[in-house]
Amino acid sequence: MNSRERVLKLFKKEAIDRVPCFSGMGNITETGINGLGYKFAGIHLDAKQMADTAATTYKLFGYECGVMPVDLCVEAEAMGCVINVYPHAEGILYPTIKEKLIHNEAEMDTIKIPDGFSEKGRIPLMREAIKLLKADIGNDVAVGSYVLGPFTLAGQIMELNDLLKLSFKKADKVAKLLDLCADAIILTAKEFEKAGVDYITVREMGATSDVLSPRVFKNLIMPPLQKVIKAISCHTVLHICGKTNDIVTFMVEAGPTAISVEQKNDVAESRKKLGNDALIFGNVDAYNVLVSGSEDLVRSTVRKCIDDGVSAVWPGCDIWPTVPPQNMKAMIDETITYGGKK
Amino acid sequence: MADEARKKEILEKLRNGVIQYDEDACREGANEAVAEGLDANEAIFDGLVSGMEEVGRLFEAQEYFVPEILMCADALYAGLDILKPHCKQMDLGVKGSVVIGTVEGDVHDIGKNLVKMMFDVAGFHVYDLGRDVPLDKFVDEQLKTDSELVCLSAMMTTSMVGMPKVIEKIKAKNPNCMIMIGGAPTSKDLADKWGADGYAEDASNALKEAIKMVAFLKKLRDEKAAKQ
Repeated sequence: MNSRERVLKLFKKEAIDRVPCFSGMGNITETGINGLGYKFAGIHLDAKQMADTAATTYKLFGYECGVMPVDLCVEAEAMGCVINVYPHAEGILYPTIKEKLIHNEAEMDTIKIPDGFSEKGRIPLMREAIKLLKADIGNDVAVGSYVLGPFTLAGQIMELNDLLKLSFKKADKVAKLLDLCADAIILTAKEFEKAGVDYITVREMGATSDVLSPRVFKNLIMPPLQKVIKAISCHTVLHICGKTNDIVTFMVEAGPTAISVEQKNDVAESRKKLGNDALIFGNVDAYNVLVSGSEDLVRSTVRKCIDDGVSAVWPGCDIWPTVPPQNMKAMIDETITYGGKK
Repeated sequence: MADEARKKEILEKLRNGVIQYDEDACREGANEAVAEGLDANEAIFDGLVSGMEEVGRLFEAQEYFVPEILMCADALYAGLDILKPHCKQMDLGVKGSVVIGTVEGDVHDIGKNLVKMMFDVAGFHVYDLGRDVPLDKFVDEQLKTDSELVCLSAMMTTSMVGMPKVIEKIKAKNPNCMIMIGGAPTSKDLADKWGADGYAEDASNALKEAIKMVAFLKKLRDEKAAKQ
């Protein structure tokens, strides 16, 4: 069973030899980028560089997937936002939105998805990059991509501050905007599917229960999120950051193939709540363990995640690119040696 | 000067105005405080800030979430804007200025703004650098303003890694400057490792930390007043 078969069988809930070690979020490494002689700021704007870099985490460490893009701005940019890739930064800075689309409450009603959306921004570049990555490592590993959740996208195209207050004061208006965001996300995901991805992670990072009440989550966040997940035909993973124990049932109700949580989620408790059948990914602390932890900490964390009942060893966020190579190796090695015992 | 019962009524109005995110009530309470000769500092601390302390508690109890806190903050500012011009300069023996901002690569500023609010309340001079701030700007601004406090905020793991560089540079030039870091991905361990003096992991904690700091300043003020 190779990595690709293992991951795809897992998604179909078929028997596998051990839990896989992979992710649906960013996982490129400085080791990979430097080996190719690329610059971090450049790989967002060049399909070949993006695909080459995305393949290195598998090629160097045996990580069981290839995932693109690297940043979180693809949909917002296609909607018309201006992004900043920090071309002159010395270190690693992820692109951010420089200019919002909605500047006041009234503009929430007038905003539209641009005509010819699938040709806007970097969506054509993403299609090209996915094809290149598939051609390179697609027989060995599953190839994934990600989109944002509607609320997270809305928080990019307008002031998050205003969005949060309005989701309390004028929920109807926000619901309408989220529905429009859902449509834009679906259009994006369809293009990724056409290019051949095996799975798509929907990252609704802004809707954590650190920020919003479970009630707002259910009433406001769920409907457009469900719409997005339902519209995607390939396997889906729903990721939410922060404290998620109170909303894991909602996350499953949203209808994804699997859910993804970070280290603040008590997975043993989630497993108890959701039963043996649910696919729960995540829980490896992508910074404090993977980047700044020792190899031993990485190994003990992997074992704990597996003992607590994760269905895949999967970092709870983008892996920060300065991750030490020995920690990447330790995470994958420990998954291989320990992941079949459970 | 209003009598005790009336004073209590006004303070209560300010406090409840913040808790119930009622900007009008806060404005009204503040205007009454000014018109009736209440000490503005007292109106701020025992009215508005006292309300915000309760908001912090409600957040911790998961009765309030971030949207509510933001609305409470708006209400607090509605009162503060009116009361502030009537404040006596607090003589705390510190200069009371702070440089605050969200580090480059991060465009989230909610936590930062809540902390800023508490410094505003405490009468600090706040140099708000905004969000997505190049790292060297923190260092330059600290030197330029000789602020004794620098607050760095980040909400994304992908942006907080710039923090140790700023801390190192500031501490090298000015070892006495206090540095507080905050934001979802930060931790006590990271703060210790990077040499920061304080940390707050989320808006509620940032609020609590800032309230603690402000409460401490208030205590100093009261002690000083008692001696006089």
